[in-house]
Amino acid sequence: MTFVSAAFGVFVAGISILYFCVKKNYRWIVLLLGSYFFYWMSSRAFTVVLLLMTSVTFAIGKMIDTRNKKCAIYLNGHSEITSEERKAYKQNHKKVNKHILIWGVLLDLSMLLLLKYFHFFSENVCELFRWIGIPVAVPEWNLLIPIGLSFYTLQAIAYMTDVYRGKYQADKNPFKFMLFMSYFPQIVQGPIARHDHLAKQLYEGHEFDYKRCMFGLQLILWGLMKKLVIADRLAIPVNMVFNHYGDYNGLIVLFAAFGYGLQVYADFSGGMDIARGVSQIWGIDLQLNFKQPYFARSIEEFWRRWHITLGAWMKDYVFYPLSLSGFSGNISKKARKLFGSNMGKKIPSFIAMFIVYFLVGFWHGPEWKYIAYGIWNGLFIMSGILSEDVYCRIKKKLGIHEERFSWKFFQMIRTIVLCSVGRLFSRSENLTVAFLMIGASFKGFFNVAFLIDKTLIRLGLETADWIILCMMLLVMLGVDAAHEKGIKIRQTIAKQGIVFRWIVYYAAIFAVIIFGIYGSVYDSASFIYQQF
Amino acid sequence: MREKVIKILEDVRADIDFNNLDKKLMDDEMLDSFDIISIVGEFNEAFGVDISVDDLLPENFNTPEAMVKLIVKLQQE
Repeated sequence: MTFVSAAFGVFVAGISILYFCVKKNYRWIVLLLGSYFFYWMSSRAFTVVLLLMTSVTFAIGKMIDTRNKKCAIYLNGHSEITSEERKAYKQNHKKVNKHILIWGVLLDLSMLLLLKYFHFFSENVCELFRWIGIPVAVPEWNLLIPIGLSFYTLQAIAYMTDVYRGKYQADKNPFKFMLFMSYFPQIVQGPIARHDHLAKQLYEGHEFDYKRCMFGLQLILWGLMKKLVIADRLAIPVNMVFNHYGDYNGLIVLFAAFGYGLQVYADFSGGMDIARGVSQIWGIDLQLNFKQPYFARSIEEFWRRWHITLGAWMKDYVFYPLSLSGFSGNISKKARKLFGSNMGKKIPSFIAMFIVYFLVGFWHGPEWKYIAYGIWNGLFIMSGILSEDVYCRIKKKLGIHEERFSWKFFQMIRTIVLCSVGRLFSRSENLTVAFLMIGASFKGFFNVAFLIDKTLIRLGLETADWIILCMMLLVMLGVDAAHEKGIKIRQTIAKQGIVFRWIVYYAAIFAVIIFGIYGSVYDSASFIYQQF
Repeated sequence: MREKVIKILEDVRADIDFNNLDKKLMDDEMLDSFDIISIVGEFNEAFGVDISVDDLLPENFNTPEAMVKLIVKLQQE
């Protein structure tokens, strides 16, 4: 049951009726039962993995929380102890908590590593053995990956760490916590929720609100349009180039990579809009995962606007702990001696940033091409920070004004080109193909004849399809431009007269029905990020 | 202490007027993660404190006043 199926629509309608019919205090139970039904329908026996991870995470959170309370009671009840004794007690308490947290993280991660990454590691270890002359057969391990595993593992780790850090208290009710971990609109492809943002909203019942419900439905419609009309239509020419990469060279390769970037954006953000729209019907506000990424002026900014909840997770649970660890402190000291004070301070953060982007790539999938994708982005961000001073001096000499439209536009185009080349890594069949395609893109680079001869038609879309696609892409980017300017489109539409409003609604509904891709050419049922 | 904090902040981000803020530094993403790490490093060195990852909360870094409060708290511990 995917977000774009009729069954999902019926399911959401059924849950909504039940949700608003039962008493406010019991509404979370409707969401819990609905979430487990959804997960069971999508993952069957793998529901055990979700249950297991929920149990481990809940138990670890509870254990740390109980110890925190006992520590506070002890310290409050023993005012006679010296500040040194108090400090030592706290330190010992934190040390034990840290061990509990590490066990919890390892247990949760082991499920992810075993199910998603075991084959990758065993294959590469066997390859290494073969390389040194010891023939070893790769063990058979063809397990399917439970839906949303990469997302809810990160959510679980964030929860345990936040309880350990004292950001909030652990959940008391295991059944409510089951809902937090399994909430079905966001379990498939995020957003990666934080307990302090989502849990309370899930647990308290919300009253029916007509305006909010309409806004939710509009967001769902917008998401369906992005997914079915844009993403699934763009997938046809993009797949054609990537599946027959040997037949194409020059600018068309970059064109396909740029198209893939737009496809992923329409697909992923479309899925997010559906998840957020469904939640909005019930008064639940999910975190924003995209903030007009195609308006970013640097790769660093792009990643602050793209898959925001993954970036925030990496920042809070990988970048900060690594940058402030004792290990980083030691590196910093040595680097200061070698490279001077300024660079010495920066090096530990660079190392942490490199690890973050390595992990971002690896999180997308157990393949070298994803690791290369992460590193590609990370290297550009680091080089941007390193060359900042030189860059500023060049800009000053050339008399470039930061706020001029032409300069901003150039920066946006540059970011899009760099991101598109990066997409060649993530979309190609493997790393070797990615390099072959990058190489092929330089051959006959300035040959733009494909734009006017019949090449585009041979990519699987008719002229009418290209026109629809271009128009819808303009609409999508136009909506982004309006959001960038702070215009709230749904509120603006709501203020218009009833005739205009319903023209807009009907136009959107018919656009999805008439222009959506439902055929067997491309599997419209699957979302790209669902596989991650 | 406030002046010293402002001086450090201005060294890291000369483009922000830390005396007249109309936005929250961390919540509104005026400071990026790289800035935060640089600021923490400078604070640790200048005030002899040990700001840990558990302290990197928006309420401790949204304003210069919040940062001063955090440093004072850590110095007293």
